[in-house]
Amino acid sequence: MYIVITGVGQLGLILAKKLREDEHQVCVIDKSESLCNRLAGELKGVIVICGDATYPGVLQEAKIEKADVCVSSTSSDEDNIIICYLAKELFGVKRTVARVNDPKHIPLYKYMEVDNPVDSTSIIARIVEEEASFSDVMNLLSIKKGRLSIVRVDIPQDSPVANMSLKEISLPGNSVLVSILRGPDIIIPSGSTVILPGDEIIAATLIDAEKNLIKALIGKI
Amino acid sequence: MKHIVIIGCGKAGRELAMELSKTDNVVVVDKSLKSLDALGDDFNGKKVWSDALDISTLEKADTTDADVAFLLTGNDNLNLVVGKVIKRKYNVKKVILQVNDTMKKKIFKEEGLTIINRTYLIVEVLKKCI
Repeated sequence: MYIVITGVGQLGLILAKKLREDEHQVCVIDKSESLCNRLAGELKGVIVICGDATYPGVLQEAKIEKADVCVSSTSSDEDNIIICYLAKELFGVKRTVARVNDPKHIPLYKYMEVDNPVDSTSIIARIVEEEASFSDVMNLLSIKKGRLSIVRVDIPQDSPVANMSLKEISLPGNSVLVSILRGPDIIIPSGSTVILPGDEIIAATLIDAEKNLIKALIGKI
Repeated sequence: MKHIVIIGCGKAGRELAMELSKTDNVVVVDKSLKSLDALGDDFNGKKVWSDALDISTLEKADTTDADVAFLLTGNDNLNLVVGKVIKRKYNVKKVILQVNDTMKKKIFKEEGLTIINRTYLIVEVLKKCI
């Protein structure tokens, strides 16, 4: 794929390197001349363009009309919106992704039809909240901007589901037990599998159902 | 009496707000309290001290009921984004934006959006002076 990244902060830089490693064609655009000079040395095989990406001429220089994706990760939300708008309306780029700096600006991203505004602040806040509040639960993986989580839950002695088989347990909707880790064994559960205290359960759950799932397995939150 | 929203209280925004508030219902939005204070005691309208990119600011300024909206911040991209959103979401009849880059003026042309460009204006005036 050909991917154009505008605004090269830490996020843009890591992304450019990662995409390049995965053998995508990458072009980065940034306003700062000194940064671009440094990037030209640091990012091997990546096209570096120095300029203000909210100007169509600069996007044209990046051959953005050939891009599969335009990623806008500048520190200014109005600039990100304008860049995605130009990429889409003027150059026909199919997919636009932007980093949202202030979550209060999300509605504007939606009105201006940015395909995928990524609100990093809220995503991180949610992860920190999870890490801070549950000791028996660990978030292993977040998918679809955190809407789907794979979690690990340690079953305590007083768990309401201890010594019960799966078919006896009613789990909340939108969540499913994926596997049970018991000592060295990995069990893919069926209806007759019995949950024992000390088991580690791997479950997939939608974010809204997560609290109910934990309550069902541990008995408290 | 028209309901007029002015976003950006710089020199042009301030003069316009003072003038229009004599006859119309004016709301001025700016993220700088100092700029809003500069309107002085004669200003007869509402001030909203907030970030125009936040939709709740536009609600506070009663943009839904606006007949006219002016986008006069010094930031072209902000004027364009907020101007387009005001047009699309609130369907305000007249939206006037200041855009200083001549190239962008052409690209963002849209029905119901009037884009004012300082350079063009000065050139027009200068031509008339001959």
